[in-house]
Amino acid sequence: MNGQFKTTAVLTGLVAAFLGLAGAFRSDLWDRTAPVSPIPLVNLSFLSTNTVRTNYADLIRLKADLSDFDCYACHDEKKPPSLRFDTNQNLVIPEEHSDIVMGHGGHNRNNNCFNCHNETNLVLLQTRDGREVKFDYSPPLCGSCHGPTYRDWEAGAHGRTSGYWDRNLGPADRKQCVSCHNPHKPPFPPRPPAPGPHPLRAVVPPTLAQERGP
Amino acid sequence: MNRRSFLRTGAVLASGVAALAASLSPLRELKNYTSLEQWTQKYYKELTPAEMAKVLKRIEGEVERQYGLRPHVRDLKPMDGVEFVYCLNLTRCIGCRKCVHACVAENNQSRTPEIQYIRVLRFPHGSLDMEKAEHFYSPDSVPEKGYFYMPVQCQQCKNPPCVKVCPVHATWQEKDGITVIDYDWCIGCRYCEAACPYWARRFNFTQPSIPAERLNLDMAYLGNRPRRQGVMEKCHFCVQRTRAGRYPACLEVCPAGARKFGNVLDPNSEVAYILKNKRVFIQLKEEMGTSPRFFYYFDV
Repeated sequence: MNGQFKTTAVLTGLVAAFLGLAGAFRSDLWDRTAPVSPIPLVNLSFLSTNTVRTNYADLIRLKADLSDFDCYACHDEKKPPSLRFDTNQNLVIPEEHSDIVMGHGGHNRNNNCFNCHNETNLVLLQTRDGREVKFDYSPPLCGSCHGPTYRDWEAGAHGRTSGYWDRNLGPADRKQCVSCHNPHKPPFPPRPPAPGPHPLRAVVPPTLAQERGP
Repeated sequence: MNRRSFLRTGAVLASGVAALAASLSPLRELKNYTSLEQWTQKYYKELTPAEMAKVLKRIEGEVERQYGLRPHVRDLKPMDGVEFVYCLNLTRCIGCRKCVHACVAENNQSRTPEIQYIRVLRFPHGSLDMEKAEHFYSPDSVPEKGYFYMPVQCQQCKNPPCVKVCPVHATWQEKDGITVIDYDWCIGCRYCEAACPYWARRFNFTQPSIPAERLNLDMAYLGNRPRRQGVMEKCHFCVQRTRAGRYPACLEVCPAGARKFGNVLDPNSEVAYILKNKRVFIQLKEEMGTSPRFFYYFDV
């Protein structure tokens, strides 16, 4: 009889233990499903592979409205446009072209329109030594001053390339200088950075803490 | 045994079984358990093409069950006469972190908690002291005056310490130079994470969560197929793209054109030109003897 009593006691104990466990799981005593607040998805603009600007060649390819680029709608075909300078010999940009901000080079010597534009035929560009360059393929014009960069660009070491690295399997899309650089103001414009890493526990690292101050 | 003790023992036993079942109820919530097919799957290098096809079908089915979208999973082998090299122009990098997020989108990394293969370090000018590097920077616009930026990801070492420490050979270097991971073979011991001097490897502490609408359906077995909880992952030079001849996602999204990639064995490739002609300054932490295939260079 004693043996049977022991068995019953052990079994009852086990049942109690299991029930206890079940209760504990049910009431989430271990915090199993601690909710993690979802990290916001990154803005799709940061995933875009577009270049930072659209250039004239792109517009031609996209068959966009080019009426804004019809020079001779305003200019006289026979008479080259005249340039006006202020007393400091800085170019005065006419009102009709107020969207153009000049800033080519830090020395202020390259702000003359006809360093690059052809004054006798405004639908063309020209290098300093007089070679005519078309708007839809302008890298040789940029390369006439920026030799080493042009050399790197031709080799694929400067500028953007997308598509196929293996040219036997597919084409590569090389971007031109003006796909990224504004020819009137070439330095790469600052842009907002994409969000940084979200660690599980927010920590302000000592270097940033120092920078932000107490 | 009399009737009374039979009933008593029976009642106790029945309630015991019920209590046991109740206490095991959390198991019912267990999702993404290892299927029998996965459990009995052979080692990657021993799989015949027919077996591989079956495995790829299984993975496609698993992804479809989980996300409701049918992916295209391939097993891309390294190409002959190809050794991949990455070059990154530190003069051009503006620290915008677009590469980080393009990588996450391409390679189906977990969004919550967050897993990212690329970390962009910000250094004050004139220093390459890791102690001064910062990757939580968040100004209104980049680049900031007085700083330069250095994205770090898996360096695809020629002498990879992570491969040496793996106790189950779940990670290895392929002949095109990419160190890959078989997520079905990884046991999650994290030895490789500890061995890597670049902190390039990431561990899935929880079940990764990816919104279905952001899932990239072009997948590779050794590449960007969704991972399970408890396995390692890292940058694999986008094998699903690069072994099909395309550029990696981080390169295509870089607005500054700072990232260059290609076959170093091809003398006409961009990377061969860079290594020959540009001021290539380091393999990161070269004193470790890991000999990375990831090079940093300057324009001037």
